[in-house]
Amino acid sequence: MPARSFLHELNPLTKIAWSLAVITVAFVFQQPLPLLGLWASVLAVALAGKVLKEILPAIRGLLIFAAIFILFQIFLIQEGNTVFTLLPGSGFGRVTDVGLTACTMLALRMLAMTSTIPVLLATTPPKDMIVAFVEKLRVPYVYALMLVTSLRFIPTLQEELGLIIQAQRARACDLESRNIFRRLRAIVPLALPLLLMSVQRARTMAISMETRGFGAGPRTSLRTSTFQTLDLGVIAGCLFLTAALVIIALR
Amino acid sequence: MDPTFEPIIKVEDYTFYYPDSQVPALAGINLTVRPGEFLGLTGPTGAGKTTLALALNGIIPHFQGGRLAGRVTIAGLDTAATPCARLAGVIGSVFQDPEAQLVAETVEDELAFGLENLAVPREEMRARISAALEMVGITDLRHRPLRQLSGGQKQKVAIAAAIALRPRILVLDEPTSELDPRGSLEIVNLLERLNRDYGMTILLIEQKISLLAPRVPRLVCLHQSRIVADAAPRQVLGQEKLVAELGLEVPPVTDLFRLLSRAGVYHGNLPLAVDQGRRELDRLLSHESP
Amino acid sequence: MIRAEAIEFTYPNGFRALQGLDFHIKAGEFVALIGENGAGKTTLLKLLGGLLKPTAGRLLVGGLDTARVRAVELARRVGFLFQNPDHQLFLPTVREELAFGPKNLGLKGQALEERVAEAAAAVGLTPYLEVNPRQLSKGQRQRVALASILAMEPEVLVLDEPTTGQDYREALEIMTIVQKLHRQGHTVLCVTHDMEMVARFADRALVLGAGELLLDGPLATVFAREDILAATGLLPPQAVQLARPYWEAGLLPGVLTVEELYEAIITALRGEKDARQVLPA
Repeated sequence: MPARSFLHELNPLTKIAWSLAVITVAFVFQQPLPLLGLWASVLAVALAGKVLKEILPAIRGLLIFAAIFILFQIFLIQEGNTVFTLLPGSGFGRVTDVGLTACTMLALRMLAMTSTIPVLLATTPPKDMIVAFVEKLRVPYVYALMLVTSLRFIPTLQEELGLIIQAQRARACDLESRNIFRRLRAIVPLALPLLLMSVQRARTMAISMETRGFGAGPRTSLRTSTFQTLDLGVIAGCLFLTAALVIIALR
Repeated sequence: MDPTFEPIIKVEDYTFYYPDSQVPALAGINLTVRPGEFLGLTGPTGAGKTTLALALNGIIPHFQGGRLAGRVTIAGLDTAATPCARLAGVIGSVFQDPEAQLVAETVEDELAFGLENLAVPREEMRARISAALEMVGITDLRHRPLRQLSGGQKQKVAIAAAIALRPRILVLDEPTSELDPRGSLEIVNLLERLNRDYGMTILLIEQKISLLAPRVPRLVCLHQSRIVADAAPRQVLGQEKLVAELGLEVPPVTDLFRLLSRAGVYHGNLPLAVDQGRRELDRLLSHESP
Repeated sequence: MIRAEAIEFTYPNGFRALQGLDFHIKAGEFVALIGENGAGKTTLLKLLGGLLKPTAGRLLVGGLDTARVRAVELARRVGFLFQNPDHQLFLPTVREELAFGPKNLGLKGQALEERVAEAAAAVGLTPYLEVNPRQLSKGQRQRVALASILAMEPEVLVLDEPTTGQDYREALEIMTIVQKLHRQGHTVLCVTHDMEMVARFADRALVLGAGELLLDGPLATVFAREDILAATGLLPPQAVQLARPYWEAGLLPGVLTVEELYEAIITALRGEKDARQVLPA
């Protein structure tokens, strides 16, 4: 059973509001330090919600992504004073103080903005998300269901892909080649069986849904989406803090 | 006539062609099933078993198009004229792939799915979910995420999800084909219990005749889109020509006694399960040996 | 040919799927790998295929350490056939499907054509070479998948539930082809849930339960341990179950198949000479 915390109790929409607040704040600040603080606050929320450990792999992935982003961008900004040069004398690989600050800022902004997503997913059962979307935001049920069902199939597809990789490797299909073209070509023997099997699966699922009255007309719902006092408090807090931070940043 | 003795499934001169196919998937099928029967359906792959299951639960013609002739009536409802959703409360379906037929994250939500579709009020929904879990014997799994369950447990959830809609008939299309021996045995035993204790009409499509034969009083064989046998398993398996032509599996115990009766050593009924076989073997060996 | 030295495997989430297996399969053996789902069979297969590396111990195939050798090298030695042929078939004709593996090994022209023709003949698919595998039945597709492995001439065949989802006739067909290949000298390791097929085709069985090797030996020895088999959800073949009380009482010899049991019963009833006369041809 996953850890229970106040984060798990919140309405999914409250958590989405928090996400939006973080994004807004991330956009108005231009300096690395406040953005670092913002990112830290997101991780603190995850810690308080007892899911920090659970989302660490996702955070690690985001960090790698941010690092790659910095590597690509940092040599493009050439204004400002030289901090160091990769190949001294050639002028290539010059890193400036302006570039360093700008890249760090952008990377931190991206981290702060995206880190809320794993927190949201780790603390919200997909079914609650559907109910919240359908009841509170009036999203048509079919779309909400489609979204959540495709999420559910990701682990299954991963497993299937593992089998396909092994099956093709057994036919000496070179999936580890250093040659980028060979590697790209090797996608076909993996992607085609995966696609064909997914189509088959989707058909079975559609039939299974059909035999259980899907699309019969008006439906009821076992769970319901409610806003509690805590939700209202969190939303109010987010609004207040966001407004305050925006004013500070723009002053 | 007592209405309970009216056939609950009635297939009359039913022929079906998949789109763009010149060969019928079902040809001139006639089948009558009475309430409370436990029916086995077998035959080689491509014989039309799955197509027949889809014709019963209304997927044909409502979801799967094609050319058809004849009529399928389920509990008095003509399937061609009744929407799938209406049929969902009458006939429940379980499929081969335990993974693909489940739509939700947790067991409870899976059972709720059909009930929500049929707009069952929330309180009744809870009661029906509890009852279905109880019938299938998986009350302890209620709040478990589906991805943590074994294949056999997932199939039980699929059966419970069908039962929650209170159908009078269950159609299962090779529900054990991806399970291990223990899982397969649990599923057929469960079906036997649902039939015996709750009077549920069950149509079980199955390749593993060793599992099927000792449990069903009636075995229907499909071959090349037609029904070629419809009798007690003992009679069907006794027809050597038919068994050979269809390439049917004969339970080894039945096979042994078939050999013994051919040799003139054994004259009784063909046993279908090991315990029956042991009794017959006891009689045979104690009688004849010094 | 296959040597497992105290192999262990623990998944990143901490689940210990294999807890120290030791076994040795000699060239030319036909070994069945049995046990309930979750016993560790799939993990062992993944180790054999080099898809996972043992967290402890060593797994050698034909002298190659599976954890170190490149997958392509391993593929020359070990042919894998999976439960579902749809996991590997993706080309528009059977011919291309059979040529895929040998081509990856660098074969061309005449040599390649010969390999394809031989493999197709071995599984009886010669008339279907120009057909799209998707138009074939599942049993036929399984034969295409088997032939696509054979075309690479591996010494070892590893089969993962090759008869699942097929009807009895198709299952027998594929197992008969495997038997023929075994007689031609291939080493076979076959994962299956079908004890009747094990009794009919294999020489030896490895029984896995909860990540441990519960039993390893000739079929007669393995099937005699009904208690251990039950622990991993298995029942011996029906002939063994039937004969068991009589075998224990010394009334009938040990048997594995219906034919053997039949012969034993007739012998017990009429004496040995008569038994031969009434045996079916």
